Amino acid sequence: MWRDGCPRLAALNPHARAGGLRVHMRLADARALLPDLVTRECEPEADRRLIEALAGWCDRYTPWVAVDPLGAALAEEDAMQVCSAGGFGGDAGLLLDVTGCGHLYGSGDAGERGLMADLVQRLSRHDFTCRAAIADTAGAAWALARYGEKQADLLCQPNGQRDAIAALPVDGLRLDPPILETFLKLGLRRIGDLYPLPRAPLARRFGDQPLTRLDQALGKIDEPLEPRRRPPAFRTRLSFAEPIGRPEDIAAVTSRLLAALCQQFEQASVGARKLEIALYRVDGSVDRTAIGTSRPNRDNPKLMKLFAEKLGELDPGFGVELMILSAPEVESWTGAQDTLPETVPIMANPLGEDGTIDLADRLALRLGAGNVVRLLPRDSHIPERMQTAAPISASAAPAGAWARLAAMKGARPTRLLQRPEPVEIIAALPDDPPRQFVWRRHAHRLVRVEGPERIADEWWRPRPGGKVMPATIVPPVRDYYRVEDDDGGRFWLFRDGPLNGARWYLHGFCA
Amino acid sequence: MSVISPQAFAPPAANDRGGPVPATLREQVRRLERANNAQRAGRTAAPLGLPEIDRLLPDGGLPTGALHEIEAGPAPSGRVAAHDAAALGFTAFLLGRLGPGTLLWCRQPAVADVPLHAPGLVAWFDPGRLLIATARREDDLFWAMEEGLRTPGIAAVVGEARSADPTAGRRLSLAAEKSGVPALLLRAQPAPPQSVCATRWRVASAPSTDLEPRWQVELRRNRFGAPSSEEMPSWLLEWNDETHHLSVVPQARAGSTGTGRRERLAG
Repeated sequence: MWRDGCPRLAALNPHARAGGLRVHMRLADARALLPDLVTRECEPEADRRLIEALAGWCDRYTPWVAVDPLGAALAEEDAMQVCSAGGFGGDAGLLLDVTGCGHLYGSGDAGERGLMADLVQRLSRHDFTCRAAIADTAGAAWALARYGEKQADLLCQPNGQRDAIAALPVDGLRLDPPILETFLKLGLRRIGDLYPLPRAPLARRFGDQPLTRLDQALGKIDEPLEPRRRPPAFRTRLSFAEPIGRPEDIAAVTSRLLAALCQQFEQASVGARKLEIALYRVDGSVDRTAIGTSRPNRDNPKLMKLFAEKLGELDPGFGVELMILSAPEVESWTGAQDTLPETVPIMANPLGEDGTIDLADRLALRLGAGNVVRLLPRDSHIPERMQTAAPISASAAPAGAWARLAAMKGARPTRLLQRPEPVEIIAALPDDPPRQFVWRRHAHRLVRVEGPERIADEWWRPRPGGKVMPATIVPPVRDYYRVEDDDGGRFWLFRDGPLNGARWYLHGFCA
Repeated sequence: MSVISPQAFAPPAANDRGGPVPATLREQVRRLERANNAQRAGRTAAPLGLPEIDRLLPDGGLPTGALHEIEAGPAPSGRVAAHDAAALGFTAFLLGRLGPGTLLWCRQPAVADVPLHAPGLVAWFDPGRLLIATARREDDLFWAMEEGLRTPGIAAVVGEARSADPTAGRRLSLAAEKSGVPALLLRAQPAPPQSVCATRWRVASAPSTDLEPRWQVELRRNRFGAPSSEEMPSWLLEWNDETHHLSVVPQARAGSTGTGRRERLAG
C-alpha cells in the first residue's frame, strides 16, 4: 500500500506481527526488521469483493450483517481515518447482530456458542483464518475478537463487557493511530487503565473519540450497525442435511418456504410486493433471484407461478445447503382471496381486473418491468406528449378519459413516430400545401390534403435548459396536414413553422 | 383359452340400483359440463355489423375462440404499402366489436418500430383497456400472447409479428380455442400463408373521398365459414368518424384490383 510517497504495510499475518511488524509501517523499515519478509501488493478492490461475498454468506446466520466500517474506510484511497487493526486483507471484520438468532443452534447461551462455533468451523473449512466473539456491544465484540486471548473469553456474558475487555490492549478501542500512540506513550496500555481516568480532562486532551469508543464498547451509548442489506421483515429458511441440486427439489423447497411465508403474511395482514430467494451453496457462494408483483400478494399458487419463471435461472452449483426466502418489500393488505375456502374452485371472473394484473406481473418478469405498460392520457397539445406509458401498478385511465381527450382534437394518426422524420416536399408555391413528399426514398404523390391544423408549442413548459421561454420570442408552431397519396395511404405531415424555409416532417400514419 | 362368461356383456349391476352417485363422479360430470360450456363459448362469434361479411363467417361473425391473421396488403398500384395503418385500423375495428376486458397488445420493436398512438385509436375502442407488452424476441412475443390467452379477464390478444410459424400458430389456436379469447396476428407485410388461422384478412388502404379511413379488405381464408360465390371475397369498407360506423362501399366489387387476385385461395 502506498501512502505519503512510500510503500507501507497494509496487512500482516500472525508471524509478521510476532516479528514486531505493524500495519502502516514503511516497507523499508519492515525489511530491516525481517529481511526475509515476503510481500504482495495489496488489492483493496479484490479484498472488498471478498468481504462483501463473505457478508452475503453470513446472511445465513442473521439478516443483520454489516461490513466493519473501519475496514471499509481503510480501503478508500483518501481515507484519513484508519485504525491500528482493522481493514481488508488480514484484519477485515464483519459485524453480525445475532440477537435472537442463537436458538437455531441450541437454547440460550449454548445456542450462541453453537452459532459461533459453526461460523468459525465453516469459515475455516473454506481456509479463512478467523476469530469470532460475541458480546452485548459491537465495540466489545470487536475488541474481543481481535485481542481476546482465552477461548472462554470470546463469548462475553450479558453485561459482562466491562470486565471482559478491561485486560485487553487499548488497540481494541478502535482509535485513530495518533491518539493510540499518545496513549501508549502515557502508559495507558490496557482498556481498563482508562476506566478510572476523569472523563473531562480526557475529552479535552484527546477529543471525543476515546470516550465515545469506550462508551460504545461498554454499551453506555448506542452504536447502530448499518446492515449491508436492509433486513427483511419476513423470512423463512430451510437448511438441508445433504446438499440438494435438482431443479425439482429447489422448486419443492421454494413452494414449502412460500407456504410458510404466506402464513406469516396472513397473520400480519400484509402482502408481498417483492420476494427474494437465496441459495446458499456448499462452496460458500450465494445465488439470489427476486420476483416483484404490482400489488400486494400473498396468494401462494400465484407467487409460485412467478417463481417458476425465475427458478430456472438459479444455479445450484455443487449443491445447496440452505435456502432462505425473504420478503424485502411488503405492503399492508387485507386480501379477499383468503376468505374463500380452498375446497371451492375459484371461478374466474371474466370481467375481473385480477387476471390482468397477474398477467402483467408474469409478463414483466420475463420481458422486463419497463416493457409491460398501459397508456395514460396526458393533458397536452403536443401529439407526442399526449400519451404516456405507465407501469401496470399505476392506476388505469378512467373509462372515457381518452374519448374526452380525443374529442377535443382533430383526427389523429393511429401510429405516431417517436421522432418526426424529415421529408422532402414539392409544393407549387412555398406557402401552398404540398404536392409530393419523399420519405425513406419513396416519393408519394399527394391527391388529397387537409389542413393546416396549427399546434403551438407549450410556452409555459420549461425549456430543456430549465428556463421558461421569454415572452418576446414567438414560440415554435407546427402546421399539421393530413394527406393522402395516390395509393390511398394516409399520412400526417407537419411544417415546423409558417415561414419560408421551414422544414417538413412526417409524424404519423392514419388509418 | 379363457371362456368369456355371458355375464361379461350384461350391464353392471350397480347401475340398476339407483344408489347415490359418488361425489367424485358428480364433480367429474360438472367439470365435463364446464368444459363443454367453454367449448361452446369458444364457438361464439362477434358480428362485425356488416351483413355482407357476417353471412360468410361461421355463426354470423368473427369466431372468438380462434386465431385470426390480419396482414397489410400491397397498395392498389401493387407497390408495397408504406405503412400498415389500414390493417391496424381494421384490427382496431375488430377489437371494438369484441366484448369488454383488457386488450393485450404484444409488440416487437424489430417488427413494428412505430408505436401506437392512443388518440387515433379512440374511435374504435378505449385505449385505457390496452396492456402493451414489448418483446425483444419472437418466442417471447408468442409466449406473452399465449399467457394472455390463458388469463381470465382478457378480451383479446393482438400480436405484431413478422410471421407465425406453424407450431406457434397451432399453439395460439389451441390456447384461443380453450379460453374462448380471440388471438389476432397483425402483420405489416404479407407473408406466405403458413398458420392454421380461422380467418385471414388482407387489408390495404384505398383512396378516400375526404380522408376518411377507407380500406380494401379481402377475406383470404375462412376456415369454418360459408362458401362464397367468389374465389376471394373482397369489400371496400369505409369508416365514418361522425357516426362511428363501418359500411361497405357498394362499388367495391366492380373496382376490385390488387395483385392478390392472382394467388390461389390458401387453406
